[in-house]
Amino acid sequence: MVSKLIEFLSLEGYRVRQEVPNMGQSADLVATRGRWVTFVEAKLKDWKRAIQQCRPHEQVADFICVAVASVNVSDSLVREAQDRGYGIIHRNRNTGAFSWVTRPALNGNVWRPQRRRLRRAMREIGYAR
Amino acid sequence: MPVDHWMTFGSFAEQRYFAYPAPGAYKGVIINANMAAYAPDGMAAFLMERTGSLSYLIDPQTHAFQHEPSAVQNKDGEIKKSIRELAQHYGEPVASAAGVRPVLPEHFSPDMRSAFVDRVLGFQQTVLPTTMEGSEANEYLGHSVNDLQPYALLAPYFFLTETAIDEWLDVNRSLAVAAVAQKPPGARIFVPLVLSKGVLLSDSARPQLEDTFDGVPADGFVVWIDDLNEHEASEAVLYNLLTLAQALCSSGREVINLHGGYFSILAAGVLGSGAFSGVAHGPEFGEFRSVVPVGGGIPIAKYYMPPLHSRVRYRDALDMLRRKGWLSSAGIFHQSVCDCDTCIKVMAGNPEHFVRFGEAAARQVRRGNGFVRMEFPTSEAKERCLCHYLHRKQIEYQFARTASEQQLLDNLERGVQDLRSIVGTAGVSHLQAWRTVLTTP
Repeated sequence: MVSKLIEFLSLEGYRVRQEVPNMGQSADLVATRGRWVTFVEAKLKDWKRAIQQCRPHEQVADFICVAVASVNVSDSLVREAQDRGYGIIHRNRNTGAFSWVTRPALNGNVWRPQRRRLRRAMREIGYAR
Repeated sequence: MPVDHWMTFGSFAEQRYFAYPAPGAYKGVIINANMAAYAPDGMAAFLMERTGSLSYLIDPQTHAFQHEPSAVQNKDGEIKKSIRELAQHYGEPVASAAGVRPVLPEHFSPDMRSAFVDRVLGFQQTVLPTTMEGSEANEYLGHSVNDLQPYALLAPYFFLTETAIDEWLDVNRSLAVAAVAQKPPGARIFVPLVLSKGVLLSDSARPQLEDTFDGVPADGFVVWIDDLNEHEASEAVLYNLLTLAQALCSSGREVINLHGGYFSILAAGVLGSGAFSGVAHGPEFGEFRSVVPVGGGIPIAKYYMPPLHSRVRYRDALDMLRRKGWLSSAGIFHQSVCDCDTCIKVMAGNPEHFVRFGEAAARQVRRGNGFVRMEFPTSEAKERCLCHYLHRKQIEYQFARTASEQQLLDNLERGVQDLRSIVGTAGVSHLQAWRTVLTTP
């Protein structure tokens, strides 16, 4: 799923890094476009875990997304993601196609000192795409 | 209430913290016997030169021989050198069993118990005092072996679980009785009680234990409850721990908790009617520990959050502090969170410097067939977190010694009120449980 997701994000104009460490966690994907930083946690199942993993990313990411692969996207995932301002990327299990269910909202809660640390750490990680 | 502050020795890398934040900050050091057996010169130098001549206790660690041999083997399946050394000092029945098979209660026939006790006490009386006496540092101090004796001698003991207490209790009792009978002049004998949580919770085992040791005229006890994390323990476990400690200390005897957190510190003070005379922890936390060691996980920066009396992951601490607005200025941080010397130095007037507690560097780590990138705290970040933790522990012990009951309870309540809306009920439930247990008649 991750390699296909990288392709999808690349077509959307993002440059993508994989496995980016952030405060003792590792984000599945960090996609950058211009100065904007988008964190993506991808899950085949257990989207609740993905939502949990996203919380620390609020200190550093401009946008946060959960990517799920399923036949349908549950209403509760949509509600939870919208409450937090997270976006949802859906991979249709039948067709394999990716699409935006909801776009993320700009996170106004970025903590600049932590973001600067992230920037420095990201410089050491090559682009996957 | 005295509320003595003890620290358990873990490794030589930590030795400089035994005089931190200041020499004399601790009542004493608790040393594992296998370390004393394996590195007596290093341990003697540590005690003489790095602790400001603190008191010390040697945990004889006799329980190490009752577990599966794998518990005392290295990754190559060989017995650990330090345990082998210790077994040679202790002799039979552990010497031939060490690393080969577990020692069993029936191996301690009544006629050999006295000699075993003699060797275990003798080890504590000689291994470090004689090395310290002959050390370079002592050339100037001129202490005798008698001056350099441990704070107390610990009787040999074995781990008691609810299911095995019937098999081991009599052995433990007779070893304790023999230790008291063989007490050297001027020495004190403490009896270790190393128990599973099941023993604490059992309506029959705990009273049986209390009755058994009530009649043993030891000078004190040391208590270690297997893997008892006070932050996650049920009220029933904590209440029974408090009840046990109060029963043991009722005749004025010392009771030291070998691995305890803020609940035990409070229990040692006015709220617990002096249930413990002292509480120990390690420099790198060690507020709870499994009797059979388990491997550690990936190291991660943790900040001791004073309102919660709890060490939390840096990222969680940051999240809490920002949601509360406690990082809006250095002044607010120091007023609401911590004004210890470490925090004042690290923050240096700028709340953005809190990031220094979470400093990390990424490294490639082998996982399965490939490598993954993982973050590890820098040594500077670990040092900051550790120094802050040790400062906070000093403050907690001092607070427990001097504050009134109401001030202690108010402090717990403040943690609940301040952070419940941020961390949820589960995040503050330990504070509520401690308050409930410590105010239950």
